[in-house]
Amino acid sequence: MDFDWTDEERRFRDRVRAFLDRELPGDWAEIARHGPGSPEQTEFSLQFCPRLAEAGLLVPHWPAAWGGQDRPTWEHYILGEEMWAAGEPRGAQYMNVNWIGPTLMQYGTDAQKARYIPPMAEGRAIWCQGFSEPGAGSDLASLKTRATRDGTDYVIEGQKIWTSYAGLAETCFLLARVPGSGEGKAGIAIFLVPMDTPGIEVRSIPSLIGHGDIHEVFFTGVRVPETARFGGEGEGWSIISYALANERIGIARYELSARVLGQMVAALKAEGRFDDGAVRARAGEASAACEAARMLAYRAVDRRAKGHDVGTFANIARVAVVEADRAVSDFGMEFLPEAYSGDGDAAFLAHHERAIVAGIAAGAAEIQLDLIARRHLDLPRGTA
Amino acid sequence: MEFTPNDDQRTFLGVLDQIAAGPEAAWAVGTDWQRFQWSGALDAILDENGFFDCAAEPDLGPVAAAEMVMRLAELPVLVESAASALLRPRFAPDLPRPLAVVVGPAQAIRFLPVARSVIRVGTDAVEVAELPDPAAPVDSLFAYPMGRVPADLTWRKIAADPAEMLDAWRVAVAAELAGALQGGLTSVLAHVRDRRQFGRALGSFQAVQHRLAGAAARIEGGRLMTLRAAATGDPAEAARALGWLQNSATTIAYDLHQFMGAMGLTLEHPLHRWTYRARLLRSEMSGGTANLALAADRTWSTP
Repeated sequence: MDFDWTDEERRFRDRVRAFLDRELPGDWAEIARHGPGSPEQTEFSLQFCPRLAEAGLLVPHWPAAWGGQDRPTWEHYILGEEMWAAGEPRGAQYMNVNWIGPTLMQYGTDAQKARYIPPMAEGRAIWCQGFSEPGAGSDLASLKTRATRDGTDYVIEGQKIWTSYAGLAETCFLLARVPGSGEGKAGIAIFLVPMDTPGIEVRSIPSLIGHGDIHEVFFTGVRVPETARFGGEGEGWSIISYALANERIGIARYELSARVLGQMVAALKAEGRFDDGAVRARAGEASAACEAARMLAYRAVDRRAKGHDVGTFANIARVAVVEADRAVSDFGMEFLPEAYSGDGDAAFLAHHERAIVAGIAAGAAEIQLDLIARRHLDLPRGTA
Repeated sequence: MEFTPNDDQRTFLGVLDQIAAGPEAAWAVGTDWQRFQWSGALDAILDENGFFDCAAEPDLGPVAAAEMVMRLAELPVLVESAASALLRPRFAPDLPRPLAVVVGPAQAIRFLPVARSVIRVGTDAVEVAELPDPAAPVDSLFAYPMGRVPADLTWRKIAADPAEMLDAWRVAVAAELAGALQGGLTSVLAHVRDRRQFGRALGSFQAVQHRLAGAAARIEGGRLMTLRAAATGDPAEAARALGWLQNSATTIAYDLHQFMGAMGLTLEHPLHRWTYRARLLRSEMSGGTANLALAADRTWSTP
């Protein structure tokens, strides 16, 4: 057991930080203020990611055949920590890097790989994921959007919701049900749908989590060729399980939270308020939540780096990460409420808007607790 | 980053687990309904085989020692390991053990009635004393042999920095607390898998599942922070790990008893052995709030 970084890993982190210091503009905090899904940040990512790619820092963990360098899992994770802590200047493209690209490599046809992977590796592709629906959130397998065969085409009808990046994405990674192909999970297929296909309407949903972050997407008579299907009919659920296993450890949210907590403490010290024992205790508690989340995430990464299934270790890390995000956000709002009004503090505002979504987006925290209970603690199912 | 024990650590912990599954670690209800069960036999086997000195072995180190303390604290029977494994090899290797540790004002101290030596950590100095006779036990709610420091001991200073000693003690107490909470959790998990009400296992109710899953996340996070603090010797990490576990202990101990129901209120069931250790350890070194404030000082202090 050893909980330190190797020299090589330290050098890699330094390289990423130096790149960020050099490349992020002076008004970056304002650009990042409204989150990775905002139009401002999405547009910025289209300038930033090509430069990241040129520096060999966009997809270093990808295979060399697809523009990567076959770098180790830990470097990929360090990259994720630094990017998230910097406000995620990759915008929506972090999804390409983490799971859409690797899933295309695994399951795509040659034509799909050739069409979609190079733009990702060059840092100029924006995708959205068409998963949740009004009637299918945590219970994703109950989704109702249909893709009905019509000759060599499919015609898609239905609605997606809470779709991040849909306003600017070129392509949607869409889950839909193919009538006649099976019930429940067995009837789901994936389609790679260009967002300029006639019949797609995107509406932005005003929300608490940033400008233009989430959307409704309506599919009305959207016709796509059979070649847009990704994997076979009925294979959608197994592919998405593979994809999310790739992503399951999730975003390194604790890294941003820990750094923002440090900034909050600096603000309190500047006002002479850090002498208050209650403030220090709460700061210590929030920092402990961040470090607990960090260690639980690292335990899962360690397993992935060794080629093992991360299993329930990832679910535990996700629960701890939510707790860390909340602890830091609550600390700021309790002791620095003035930072959330008027001109406020862009870093604290941005952190808050990222933190409140932590236990809801990409799998509700309660679902993680269900999985921990059943798979980690070996507790029986609801009707047992 | 390496979360897997090395070969030596794996062998060491494997043998420890075998011993911990042996007859010396078996528990029974005492005829006098004692709140703890000191296992002199288990303590002696571990002592004779050098387990308590593992922190001084380069290939084992403080990490293996902390892991050992956790695993021993998961047992329903009691041995003294935290001070012996994480203080003695570094600060007082020749001191006769078992040990009791005194920090702060005079009060009932755990392990004193079975201890052969006491370590007293003061503001300016660390002193030790051997106990020619066992200290008289004190009745206590806490599931340890508790006693007060005899007035007539002969103290001698040792060449140890009190601050360093306290940092090491934080790691040791955190390891013991993580183990106690895990031991209680494991016991309750077995109960809620088997116990049926309303035609289903208690552990199938989400109200139970989510609280136990949350407890597991908190304990495992604390456990990993403790191992890192042991490995790095970082004083901020030590305070953070201990404070986190101490502030988690209250809710977890409550929930464990809640899910064990009336059986968990009996002395016949061992749950109290873990929860009443946790309730004492929660107050060590001024308690969780003070340790988290200390962690904050150390993280953000201006040099």
